[in-house]
Amino acid sequence: MPRLLRPFTILVLMLPILVASGAGLLGQVRPRDGEWATYGGDLASRRYRPFDQINRENFKDLEVAWRFKTDALGPRPEFNFQSTPLMVDGVLYTTAGTRRAVVALDAATGEMLWMSREDEGKRGEAAPRRLSGRGLAYWTDGRESRIVYVTPGYQMIALDARTGRRVPGFGRNGVVDLKLEMDQPIDLESGEVGLHAAPIISNNVIIVGAAHLPGGTPKSRIHEKGYIRGYDARTGKRLWIFHTLPQNGEFGNETWLQDSWAYTGNVGVWAQMTIDEELGRLYMPVELPTGDYYGGHRPGNGLFGESLVALDLKTGQRKWHYQLVHHGIWDFDIPCAPILADITVNGRTIKAIAQPTKQNWLYVFDRVTGEPVWPIEERPVPKGDVPGEWYAATQPFVTKPAPYDLQGVSIDDLIDFTPELRAEAVKLVSRYKIGPLFTPPPVSRWEGPRGLIMVPSSTGGANWPGGSLDPETNILYIYSFRQPTVIGMINDPARSDMNFINGQARDPNAPPPAPAAPAAPGAVAGEGGGPALTVQGLPLLKPPYGTITATDLNRGEIVWQVAHGETPDAVRNHPALKGLNIPRTGRPAGRIGTLVTKTLVIAGEPGFFTMPNGQRGAMLRAYDKATGAEVGAVPMPAPQTGSPMTYMLNGRQYLAVPISGAGYSGELVVFRAPQSAAPTSSR
Amino acid sequence: MKRVVVFSLALSAGAAYASALSAQPSRSVWDAVYTAEQAKRGEAAYGQHCASCHGGTLLGAEAAPALTGFEFNSNWDGLSVGDLFERIRMSMPVDDPGKVSAQQKADIVAHMLRVGGFPAGTTELPRDVQVLQQIRYVSTKP
Repeated sequence: MPRLLRPFTILVLMLPILVASGAGLLGQVRPRDGEWATYGGDLASRRYRPFDQINRENFKDLEVAWRFKTDALGPRPEFNFQSTPLMVDGVLYTTAGTRRAVVALDAATGEMLWMSREDEGKRGEAAPRRLSGRGLAYWTDGRESRIVYVTPGYQMIALDARTGRRVPGFGRNGVVDLKLEMDQPIDLESGEVGLHAAPIISNNVIIVGAAHLPGGTPKSRIHEKGYIRGYDARTGKRLWIFHTLPQNGEFGNETWLQDSWAYTGNVGVWAQMTIDEELGRLYMPVELPTGDYYGGHRPGNGLFGESLVALDLKTGQRKWHYQLVHHGIWDFDIPCAPILADITVNGRTIKAIAQPTKQNWLYVFDRVTGEPVWPIEERPVPKGDVPGEWYAATQPFVTKPAPYDLQGVSIDDLIDFTPELRAEAVKLVSRYKIGPLFTPPPVSRWEGPRGLIMVPSSTGGANWPGGSLDPETNILYIYSFRQPTVIGMINDPARSDMNFINGQARDPNAPPPAPAAPAAPGAVAGEGGGPALTVQGLPLLKPPYGTITATDLNRGEIVWQVAHGETPDAVRNHPALKGLNIPRTGRPAGRIGTLVTKTLVIAGEPGFFTMPNGQRGAMLRAYDKATGAEVGAVPMPAPQTGSPMTYMLNGRQYLAVPISGAGYSGELVVFRAPQSAAPTSSR
Repeated sequence: MKRVVVFSLALSAGAAYASALSAQPSRSVWDAVYTAEQAKRGEAAYGQHCASCHGGTLLGAEAAPALTGFEFNSNWDGLSVGDLFERIRMSMPVDDPGKVSAQQKADIVAHMLRVGGFPAGTTELPRDVQVLQQIRYVSTKP
């Protein structure tokens, strides 16, 4: 049951909201100037606001308006605070804490107005996607306003935005059990489906995705399916369901050979989604089917795995789809919201949609028809050697824009600060398979290859924060990083009924690992200690390790790129690099969301370093959005882990950044423009 | 106003670091602070409780970060093994931190140190956080 705080305070503070709630269009998230009312800033997922009070002149002088520590919102602190808050009518809403509580905070001061929590017991403990999640959704019809979110245990809850109390007329006492009405039997406690994304709402329809455990080593080829559903925002009634894994007789079912559609699962949408309200379209970035790196039990191209799918928002009927990866065996789940942009290409106006990906391509389509704006070519790709695997003969290659980061690995991509480091790197990779994008993972053998060194890794490239779009220029901004990972195929019947799962062969002459007590179903028998893929403690690949890229969608060309993230201490202080002049490298990590304003691109750093003030922390940086030149930075106690958002309140611009990291629990840090930048009336 | 704000930020930014420094650790992870046998026990415990999210090779996965390698080292550099142990004690495994004993968590840290390339010795890593606070996590060999 929700526990409410300070109801009298709430009523007093919310009185102005009750008066001012003439939201206009019913049930639509149409933020007023100054607000941030949906996860992506708007339903087009642009993460853009045309504010300019925080600008290149004053960014370095930003004040901390308030800070909110999330430790008490759950039985223990959380260290991976990923939310993007919303701000509506002077109230900031966010999920936070290990129990994914919802809090309403005074957006000017950070004072807690209410808090709602759900203790889901074993159901919550068994959830595949735990912790605070990515955020929540706001809905209003002009009279009522609601906060809608999904718990770790996969229950959708509607709260009165004014009080935090559950909405009685929504589902059963404000709750819709998402493990029901999913067109498949799902155990309410242990069924492996959940979500950490925020729902998205438009035209009184709430869209809810589905997520599962990471799929590199699934226990079974038989798995829950990640269907997507639309719900009535007033009642919580299910309006439609879309079978992302088409059932018998449905379009796309024929792409599942040997009836593999029947038992295969996943194919959910764990990323954020995007809506074009004018077209009444929902755009879904779909993940791959069961088995991230082995598809032998699911022969065929497997629609709608790794596809961008457009649905009718009201009915859930498919309008078009485009499969970005056929029969995926690289875990290239489409990880983030596609971004809408009305672009002009060679004089022709196109309602476009741009999909960032882990594999560092920006796929750009006409969002009405699904036709690529620039050619996407089917090209032959190599087959691998894993017994039983079904390899797609071709994969789609984007011809434009150019990839925003590395795709695949060659010797030229290895560390080359010194010839000695390069030589060590060459020796290291000789035990592995390397190659371009779409090189298939091999069977892992101790004598080699022990696996595929995969770049981008299964975490990107880009990942769940996605990008930002400036509608004034149609320039899209995206953060990506380059960090290799090793993917090898092993057979381990003790762990999985799949013929192959991800792992690495052990040294046959080494003693077996100590037995777990009791026998461990999830143990790593068959895997070795694991390579860190470092050379004298340094990254295997050349910098830049982390990059922000600006791409002009009118021309399909990269405008600028900048290394984002200070050079790590371990590089700056490394004895082998003494005397070398190494430009800023960025960090080989992080899921970093960008924010674009009238003049700036803003993003926090993904890792700790020793800051100019001598303290351990990370910087929040601002770049000139036209050139990529850094124009200011302010210190933060920890790296950015959620995505930044901005709002205007009482004549001041605020900037909220969720942070956390190694040894630093989740905190929302809210900056504002310095007093000198505020209009006279608000001083 | 600005100076006050920046100062308070800096204070917090350095809080964990300062706590580590205030203990003035005399040893580091390069001083053979665990045993091979303990790391072996830790490997088994890791496989049972950690590998499903962090990957069998500690390289991380979609839902959890790497526990070895350059970026892990960069983020923990300068903190103490006690800080690392406390982080695990408080919050891991994420479904129920209480189901893995403090001894097992010390063993898991030993496994992480072995995979990280830090040398083993003849004395086991204790589960006493006060003692662990005296061991600095230093990624580059002094």
